[in-house]
Amino acid sequence: MAAGFKTAEPLEYHRSFLKENCRPDGRELSEFRTTTLNIGSISTADGSALVKVGNTTVICGIKAELTNPTVEAPGKGYIVPNVDLPPLCSSRFRPGPPSEQAQAASQFVADVIESSEVIQTEDLCIERGKLCWVLYCDLMCLDYDGNLLDACTIALLAALKNTKLPEVTISTETPEVNLAKTRGLHIHKHPVSASFCVFDDSILIVDPTAEEESLKTAQLTVVTDEEDRLCTVHKPGGTSLSGEKLQECISRATARQREIQKLIDKVTRSVKTAQ
Amino acid sequence: MQIFPPTPPLPVFPPCLSPGDKLCSVEDCIPGTGVYLRHGYIYSSLAGYVLRKNEGEELPVISVVRETETQLLPDVGAIVTCKVTSINPRFAKVHILYVGSTPLKDRFRGTIRKEDVRATEKDKVETYKSFRPGDIVLAKVISLGDVQSNYLLTTAENELGVVVAHSESGAQMVPISWCEMQCPRTHSKEFRKVARVQPEYLQA
Amino acid sequence: MPRNSGIILSSRCVSGGDIERRTSSHAAVWFITFPCAMPTDNKRVRGPEVSQSPSLFLCEPAGALPSHGPRADGRQRDQVDVRPVFVRCGLVSQAKGSAYIEAGNTKLMCCVYGPRETERKDETDMKCGRLTTDMRFAPFSCPERGSWIQGSQDKDLSLMLHESLQPAVCLHKYPRSQIEVNVMVLENSGSVLAHAVTCASLALADAGIEMYDLVLGCSIRQDGTSYVVDPTYTEENRCSSVSSENQGGLTVAFLPSLNQISGLQSDGEMAEETLTAGVRTCIEGCYKLYPVIQQALAKAVRKAAPPPSES
Repeated sequence: MAAGFKTAEPLEYHRSFLKENCRPDGRELSEFRTTTLNIGSISTADGSALVKVGNTTVICGIKAELTNPTVEAPGKGYIVPNVDLPPLCSSRFRPGPPSEQAQAASQFVADVIESSEVIQTEDLCIERGKLCWVLYCDLMCLDYDGNLLDACTIALLAALKNTKLPEVTISTETPEVNLAKTRGLHIHKHPVSASFCVFDDSILIVDPTAEEESLKTAQLTVVTDEEDRLCTVHKPGGTSLSGEKLQECISRATARQREIQKLIDKVTRSVKTAQ
Repeated sequence: MQIFPPTPPLPVFPPCLSPGDKLCSVEDCIPGTGVYLRHGYIYSSLAGYVLRKNEGEELPVISVVRETETQLLPDVGAIVTCKVTSINPRFAKVHILYVGSTPLKDRFRGTIRKEDVRATEKDKVETYKSFRPGDIVLAKVISLGDVQSNYLLTTAENELGVVVAHSESGAQMVPISWCEMQCPRTHSKEFRKVARVQPEYLQA
Repeated sequence: MPRNSGIILSSRCVSGGDIERRTSSHAAVWFITFPCAMPTDNKRVRGPEVSQSPSLFLCEPAGALPSHGPRADGRQRDQVDVRPVFVRCGLVSQAKGSAYIEAGNTKLMCCVYGPRETERKDETDMKCGRLTTDMRFAPFSCPERGSWIQGSQDKDLSLMLHESLQPAVCLHKYPRSQIEVNVMVLENSGSVLAHAVTCASLALADAGIEMYDLVLGCSIRQDGTSYVVDPTYTEENRCSSVSSENQGGLTVAFLPSLNQISGLQSDGEMAEETLTAGVRTCIEGCYKLYPVIQQALAKAVRKAAPPPSES
C-alpha cells in the first residue's frame, strides 16, 4: 500500500522515486509544474493577477493610493509588497500576525523589486516633493503546495503589468483624479524566479511541492531578468552547493524566465483583445 | 419558523445527494451511515451516493456514502497505526496516522501508558525497551481520554506492537522474537514490544 | 541604503522610495528608542504612514442612485432578482473541503479543515465537536483599501457566520475535535455575508462533514417602499431616497430542506411587516440558489468517485 509507506516513511518514499530520476507526482527532476495565469480578475484592485503553479495558488492585488514623498527622496514613490499566508491556504498556518515564513517572503519580494528595478519608483512621482503614488501589492496565498516564492514573483509581475493608474492633475492645492483617463505602468525589467531544493545533500530538484520542501536539506531561489542578468540569489542556509550545481540552477532559471515572460505576454494580449 | 410547507419527498433518488435531502420513511428502510432521522423520515447528512443493502433482514439498510476516504475519527476499540514521537518512563507519546486502513488527514495524538504495553508482567515493563521514537506501532484505542489527556491506546495483545523500526545504524530491523528485533546490517539486537503481524495488516 | 539620524526616522520611518528593511538590526534598535505615534508593525513591509485613496479626489463625484426604475446592473427592483452565481467545489488541494462562489463581482472562497484535535480543551468538547469560523477580507477586496489586520467588522461577520452554520452541522459526530471554516473575500461587491454562508456550507459538504442540511444565504436592502435583492456594494452603501423610514439591510441564513432559519441579521430601521416581508423575500432568494448549489455539489461528488455499484 503506497499511501501507508508515504505517511509512515516520507523520506524513504521520496528516495525510492528519486533513485529512478523521477518524483512522486510523475515529474522529472528539472520539470516545473503546469503554470497558469489569470490577469485582471479583481475589479476592485487597480491591477491583479492569479497564478497557479501546480496546486500552489497566489493572488496579487495592487491598490494605488496617494501620499507625500519623503523629504530624503522627493522624486520617488513607494512600492509596498506584502505576502500573506492565511490559515485558509494550508493547515500548517495559524491565524494571527504574519508568520516567519510570510515575513521572509515579503522581504524577498521587496528585495526582488528593488534589485531588479522592475519599476522605477521615480515613475510613481506625480509632483516632486508633494505628491506621489504608493502601490500596495498584496500577495495572498490561496493554496499552499510549495514553491511560494516563484508563484509570488510571477503574480507580482503580472499584476504590475495589469495595473492602471488614473490621471492626476494638480490644480491650485488639491489634486484632481480623472478615472476616465488611465495609464499603465512602465515595466523596465521582467524578473522571474526559479526555486530549487537540494535533497539528501546532493540531488537537485526544481519547483518543490510542500512535501518535498519539508524534506529538503537546502533551498535555493534564483531570480533573473530578460537580459539574463541575476537579480537575486536567495539561499537561506542548508547544505552547501557546488559552483557547478549553482551554474546549472542559473541556466535553468534563465530558461524559466523566457517561458514565464512568454506566458505573461500571451495572457496580457488575450485580455486586451477580450476587452 | 415554518414559512413554506416542506417540499414533498422525491419519488426517485437523484444519483447524487446533498445534506438535507429526504430519503424515505423509517418504515421502508433501516438508517445506516451518512443519514439521520427526523420526524420518522430518513434524511441524508452527507453529499454522496445512496446505497441500499439487503442484509437478510426485512428492511434494506439505507446509507449515503462518499467513495473518497470517509471521515473517520479514532473510536474505542479501533485498531490504529501510529508513529512514536517521544517516550518517558511512564508512557510513550504517539501520533495516530491511520484508523484501520483509512489515513487521517490531520494528526491526532495518543498515549500508550506503561501498564498498557503488554498483557503480562505489567510491572516489569520498561517503555525504553518497548518503543523508540520513530517506530511504527499498531495499537488499539481503549479510551478517548479525559479533558487533559489524549487518546489512550494499548498494545497489550500479541497482534499489537511495533511493526516497523529502525536500528541505530538506520537500517530497518527484522523481528526475531516477541521482544527483540535485529538490525540486518550490524546484527545488533534491540528490544521492542514486537507485534505478531497478521497477514491482513502485512501490506499496511 | 543610506541611514539617516534617528530623529528624522522617528518622524518618518521610511526613507523615500525605499522600503523599510526589517532585517536591518539598526532599524530595529531605532524603533525601540524612537517609537512612532502609531504602534509599528514590524512584521510587514510598510509604506508611508498615511496615504489616501484616489477616489477621494475625483473631479466628478459619483451621483446618487436612482430610487426607481431598473438597477445599475439591469436587474429589477422589488423582485427576487438575484445575481446568477458561479460555484465550484474542491479547488484547494490542501483543504479537506473547499468552495468558491462568484455572484456578479462578489468573489469569495471558503476552505474547511478538520476534524482535527482541538487546541483548547474544555468540558463541553468531550461529547461534542467545535466549529470555528474565520472570515477575512483581502486588502484589495473593497473599493477602499482594507487593513492587513482583521478589523471588528471581520470579527462580527465571522461570528454571524458561525451562528448561521452551527445549527446545520452534526457536531455530536465529532467528539474531541474541531472543524475550521475559513472564508476569504477576494472581491466585495455586496451581500458578502449571505454568499459566505452559502459558500461555507458548500465547503463543509464538500469536506464530507455530516450536516442536517445545507445553509443558504440571501440578503435584501430595503429602501423606503422599494427593495433590492442581493444588493451590490454601491446599493448597500449609498442611500438614495430622502425619507428615513424603512431604510435597512437584512441577511437571512436558511436551511432549505428543513425549512428553518439559522441566522438572521438586520440593520437600519424597518417596520415589523416590512421585516417579515423581507424575510420571505430572502427565503425565496435562497430557493432560487438551491438547485445551483446542489448541482455543484453533485458535480464534486461525481468528480471524486464514480457511483458505487449497486449490491
